Amino acid sequence: MKSKIKILLLPVLAGIVTISCKQFTDIAEIREVEPLSATVTLTLNLGEAPVPENFNLKLINYNERYEINKTMSASGSVTVEGIIPGIYTITASSEMSADGFTYNYSGSAVNIDIIQEGESITVNVEASKSGALVLKEIYYCGSKTPSGGSYFRDQFYEIYNNSETVQNVRGLCIANINPLTATANLPVWPGDDAANYIYCLAIWQVPNDKDYPLNPGESIIIAQMADDHKKSNLNPNCPVSLLSAEFETYVNTTSIISDNPAINMVMAFWPSSMPQWLVTVFGGAYVIFYPDGPIDPNQYVSPVGRSDKNFKVPIANIVDAVELVGNPNQMQLKRMPTVLDAGAVTVGGTYRAESVARKVKEVKENSRVIYYDTNNSTNDFEVMNPPVIRRNGALAPSWNTWK
Amino acid sequence: MEHLEIMFNTIKRMKMRLVKYIYWAGAVFMTLGLTQTAAAQGSGVKMNSPASIELLKAGALWLNSGNGAGMVLDQLPYYSDLNFVYGNKAGDYKLKHEGEKERLIGFSTEGGLSIGKGYVWGSFKYDNEVLRNTLYNTTMLDPLRGMPYYTVDKNISDWFRQSYSLSMKAATSPLWDKVILGIEADYIAKVGAKQIDPRSETDYYTINVQPSMVLTFGTHSVGLNFRYQNLKQESLTTNSDGQTNQDVFVLKGLGNGYTAVVGGLQSLGTFLYEGNTAGAALQYYYAADGVKILLSGKYNFRAEDVISAPSKPKKEGSVKENELGIALGAVLGRDNISRFDIEFNKKDMSGIEFVQYLDNSYEVQQWITIYNSIRSTFADQELSFRYNFFRGAEREYRWRAGAGLSYNVSDDLYIIPESLMKVENLYLGANGKYNFKLGGHSRIVAGADYIYKNNLNGDFVYGGAEPGSHIITDFITPDFQYLKESYSKIGGTLSYFTSVSKSNTAGMFIKASLDYYMPSESENNRTQFSIGLGFTF
Repeated sequence: MKSKIKILLLPVLAGIVTISCKQFTDIAEIREVEPLSATVTLTLNLGEAPVPENFNLKLINYNERYEINKTMSASGSVTVEGIIPGIYTITASSEMSADGFTYNYSGSAVNIDIIQEGESITVNVEASKSGALVLKEIYYCGSKTPSGGSYFRDQFYEIYNNSETVQNVRGLCIANINPLTATANLPVWPGDDAANYIYCLAIWQVPNDKDYPLNPGESIIIAQMADDHKKSNLNPNCPVSLLSAEFETYVNTTSIISDNPAINMVMAFWPSSMPQWLVTVFGGAYVIFYPDGPIDPNQYVSPVGRSDKNFKVPIANIVDAVELVGNPNQMQLKRMPTVLDAGAVTVGGTYRAESVARKVKEVKENSRVIYYDTNNSTNDFEVMNPPVIRRNGALAPSWNTWK
Repeated sequence: MEHLEIMFNTIKRMKMRLVKYIYWAGAVFMTLGLTQTAAAQGSGVKMNSPASIELLKAGALWLNSGNGAGMVLDQLPYYSDLNFVYGNKAGDYKLKHEGEKERLIGFSTEGGLSIGKGYVWGSFKYDNEVLRNTLYNTTMLDPLRGMPYYTVDKNISDWFRQSYSLSMKAATSPLWDKVILGIEADYIAKVGAKQIDPRSETDYYTINVQPSMVLTFGTHSVGLNFRYQNLKQESLTTNSDGQTNQDVFVLKGLGNGYTAVVGGLQSLGTFLYEGNTAGAALQYYYAADGVKILLSGKYNFRAEDVISAPSKPKKEGSVKENELGIALGAVLGRDNISRFDIEFNKKDMSGIEFVQYLDNSYEVQQWITIYNSIRSTFADQELSFRYNFFRGAEREYRWRAGAGLSYNVSDDLYIIPESLMKVENLYLGANGKYNFKLGGHSRIVAGADYIYKNNLNGDFVYGGAEPGSHIITDFITPDFQYLKESYSKIGGTLSYFTSVSKSNTAGMFIKASLDYYMPSESENNRTQFSIGLGFTF
């Protein structure tokens, strides 16, 4: 009996000792961290755009909430020192006015691990003229009711004419892309050209029935529910009334939801039956775009190994894009292609009654505001409390007679 | 991968359940065994009282040395006791994770007896605690246990905790009159739950084994013992209100860390802690007429990994710790005893962080570590001196008096971006007790003690990402202020003991104690009060 116990105990003891020894040896050799240096070189693919004198270089380690900023010339390279070993998003940006246009220069290298001394990193920089229509303010996180409940029907999206010319939002689409929330588990899309598209979970479209002109400095509000959310039967704590919104994503009338004065958006792609366009309060990733033609919901695609329905849109059609995430720790969990948005923005939680809004770049003589649009929402946006529609004197379009 | 994880968790729960069964069986066995032995040894056993147990422990240099074999040289008689205690703490002079009010209900038993020329010793302890209105501790049963990687939140919450501790020591009779073999083993299990969202359930246990040996050469002896400890902790965070996610902060030392959320699709996962400690200690002992001296030195190495496991295990951090200790204890006298203790302990812990990326390819689907480094260091040193005098009276003391001095310094550093916290304190204390004999076998022991903590130095510089965050302003900084604040503590104890058996081999006692902390700068204070009922056999 004793020998049997010994036979049983010996492998257990041996196992414990082996595991302990491995843990000890693994850990014993680890040394103290030392700051690193790395060399960053820019490759310019600017097309016809003029070459700016300097670029702002930013190295961001989202896990550490650590950021290094440098200025570098367009030609040549720069050595950055004091880098904490880790995974970085490196962006180079600049801006220049020429020939009556504002050019944005941006390039990024995402998820670059800098873990050895003297690493070389190349960032490809492209140029674009500033977009005419931009997502100016997004209120996605919802608010708390007086009883402490969660209220999410007050979400809105403001689209602003940031250009010098009249824009027509007729047929403009807004969509949230797959996956719904920031995650490390990104779907795999079929096809060799999969990277040339973004994949929408749902698409709402401005009706194609007539023109909806938008002058410079004017904005439209797209509400999930264009009601006065401060009403007693909704949420008296809500920071916004959306009765003056131009559009709403109306699905069905319920005891809570009514068909408001706002124009109803067209449910262009709506594969899941839901009572409202409730997008995640953790922060979705949004695009606005003009489709090449009518959207056929039957032309859906599914990720490899899955059956959920998504509509793919060429990246070239995207007018503006913003990536929202649940908290700062999710900044590196990007869904949006970096060519559309090299960064991400967050209010940092849910039901905080806060929004994200573009930062003011300049104010013209007629009080018209121009907002930052560098295709990097980390730089372009800031958190606002409370959310406000048509902030900074943005005007409602003249065809909005119920404003 | 997921199936493996479920299987692993199931096996682990089964193992923990099995260990609990063994543990309870051991506790019952020990309690019954010691009380039965008391009856069996009958008239050969003299009655113990709390004061006599204090005195015999004061003369036992090996008992708490970690070398179980040495107990034979202590020549301890049979003793055992049983204690029930109810305790309360209240007041604002505290660390954030402590309760504004705390309630303890505890039970403990301890005893030792000779078997031939050998000796066995055992103890069992159970504590049930309720902590009211704690802050900034989401998952840890003891945030000060030497683990910088854990979760905190700013919601005021109660904590419920229970702990079970089972310990044994055994020493053989001297073999060939020269060699004594021994072993010590401890099993400690703790469970606890935070009561407000983000709430948590934490299971924790350690198993500690210390085989030992002593060689005697007349009045001289040398001892050697080894130590192995295995630690496991599992902390699960959840919300009872599924509609409201809760913000938390995962600490990595000195207020650095990252924000996370409990609830929703990206909810923070279960934290699994697994640690091992190995070490050894050497002792030299000299015993002659009226003089006993024990010089000992120890070294321990600890490694502990922290893994978060929502679906794909990710390393949150690891620590490695070197612990060095040197102690000199001396007992002089026979009827009147003087006990001296000088100790130096040094702990150097390194916090290790990992750079990982998620390999999302179908075949892999796991976090890959590409870099690791020591990001923080935590150094603690303590030098202490204690002297106690026992004026003997039969098997007890008539009175005892003592004084102590302790110098402590903790020096913590987060390397990049640099943050540092250094606290240097000197503790001075004095204590005394008087044993009033009443009629028969009854007595009252009254005691008082005083401790003055004098802060010599304190410095905290935070160089991290968010100096304005509530983690720094409402948690780390106030806790630092607490650690560096000088205070005075006055305390008193009163106990009444009487015989409860006709043969005068068993006694009963009731005792009460009160401690009052008065910080030198703030208006806060802290009161600790306990009452207890106990038996000696």
